[in-house]
Amino acid sequence: MARSPLALVALGLVAAWGVAAFSAPVLAPHLPLAQDIVHRLSPPSRDHWLGTDPLGRDVLSRILYGARLSIPVGAAAVVLAGGLGIALGGAAGFLGGIVDETIMRITDLMLAFPTVILAMVITAALGAGIHNAVLAIMVAWWPSYARLERGLVLAVRQREFVEAARVLGASRLRIALRHVLPATISPIVILGTLDVGHAILTFASLSFLGLGPPPQVPEWGSMIAAGRNYLNQWWIATFPGLAILSLVLAFNVVGDSLRDLLDPRLRRV
Amino acid sequence: MSLWRYLGRRVLLLAPMLVGITLLTFLLSHAVPADPVTAYLGPQASGDPQVIAAFRHRWGLDRPLPEQYGIYLWNLARGDMGVSISTRQPVMVDLKQHLPATIELATAAMLTSLLVSIPLGMLSAVRRDTMLDQLARIGSLIGVSTPIFWLGIVAIVVFYAYLGWAPSPGRLSMEIPPPPPVTGFVVVDAVLARRLDVAADALRHLALPALVLSSYSVGVVTRMMRGSMLEVLGEEYVRTARAKGLATWAVVVRHAARNSLIPVVTVIGLSFGGLLSGAVVTETVFAWPGLGSYAFHSATALDFPAIMGVGLVVAAIYILVNLVVDIAYAFVDPRIRVG
Repeated sequence: MARSPLALVALGLVAAWGVAAFSAPVLAPHLPLAQDIVHRLSPPSRDHWLGTDPLGRDVLSRILYGARLSIPVGAAAVVLAGGLGIALGGAAGFLGGIVDETIMRITDLMLAFPTVILAMVITAALGAGIHNAVLAIMVAWWPSYARLERGLVLAVRQREFVEAARVLGASRLRIALRHVLPATISPIVILGTLDVGHAILTFASLSFLGLGPPPQVPEWGSMIAAGRNYLNQWWIATFPGLAILSLVLAFNVVGDSLRDLLDPRLRRV
Repeated sequence: MSLWRYLGRRVLLLAPMLVGITLLTFLLSHAVPADPVTAYLGPQASGDPQVIAAFRHRWGLDRPLPEQYGIYLWNLARGDMGVSISTRQPVMVDLKQHLPATIELATAAMLTSLLVSIPLGMLSAVRRDTMLDQLARIGSLIGVSTPIFWLGIVAIVVFYAYLGWAPSPGRLSMEIPPPPPVTGFVVVDAVLARRLDVAADALRHLALPALVLSSYSVGVVTRMMRGSMLEVLGEEYVRTARAKGLATWAVVVRHAARNSLIPVVTVIGLSFGGLLSGAVVTETVFAWPGLGSYAFHSATALDFPAIMGVGLVVAAIYILVNLVVDIAYAFVDPRIRVG
């Protein structure tokens, strides 16, 4: 990664967004919910660097507060999907037989539902909100992790060190948790890093469609939705979009470089 | 395994997959909501115990779950997906009305992305590490990182509101009457009705949403094509072809490109799911009257039967597309059939 300037820039950008999210209350020039009706729909100016929205709220402040939601939500969705995928994929790989067959057929089925459609189904059943949006992403994505984990478990359990542990009399559970599982983690982490950006993007799409948090909450997707009907006030929708693009792009570049670094088979490609 | 036995096996596997999808939508619709009655009937009607009892009986909700699933399948087999709460029409009728617009949009987007990304991925691999390669790599990363709904809004602002190049959102201009529906695809119907002016107008309306929707798959397919091409260019037979003295383009096109397309075909099938997800937001932004708009309106209205119908149809389409891709694959590459 050190050899690639692009990856360094991307890592810096991810870090910058992290700092922005963490210190939004200090950095933001206004409160994200403060309405300044007199200056509603005002273009970028010295007082409102990125302009104001239809309710006179400061776009920059809302973007900074939005990062406080998007980054943890993206990370949580991936960690939950990864966790469930590791547990089920690991079980499939270890136990084999009917358990393996059942879990793998369920992953086939789940993968047939596009994320947004699945999220709509879940939202229609349980109602809109941040928790249900995260739940939807988790339900849609765990199958990819389960498949990867199962393949890795099948490969790793053939290796000598696992055989050695077995000969030494380690229990099946101990072999699974202490020997095989740790050896499967790094590809999962790579997939996870690549997916955080993707999860942030998906969460923004869901909020844009009104399946995320309520509209007053500063969130990038719903800010863009609010700016949809103001074609002449371009700043309302443009800046939150650039925020998403920059953060997701940075995550993708970092994930790509991480994969090249940790997976030498792919490095030549 | 012969080609025909492979095909037979794949088609036979289709049946349990489709049954599995109905089981999944059934479980989601009958087991997930705390009370499906409220979800179906809405808060007003669910206040009346008589209505609830009648509703439960009509949908067999007063019977055990396995039996309910049987009833659900039976209704489905007769084409009965229930009645949409918001449109008050049978869900089946709604789906038939909205599906062609989405297929039209998705096909146009898929074609656009193939036309752009396959040559671009090839060029990028052949001219590795040049300026062009760097631009193509960054471009495809931007493609997969851009929120499609935002890109759509920006495209409307720039090309419609400011430049005036694009027509207003929708499938046809206001003053043009739609051609008599035969296939439901406006472009095809216009050609069938010998109205080339209408077809041209429909294509003009299709261009911008299709371009916007294709942005994600352009990114995915370009990356895949580049990677696959680089791998193939390193193979022995490509070196042999070069050593034989074949012209560079002949090596690239005849030997390398054909073989590197094989893994790309699978990715195209799999990225179709992303395309359908993208269609939901693209259609919402461009007022495109397809399945995505329908799904969006159903989801916001908590129209449960409608959204379950969309889920079922979209999953079935995805499975069918991937079956076609796998079959195409088996024709192209004899090695697949062995596995």
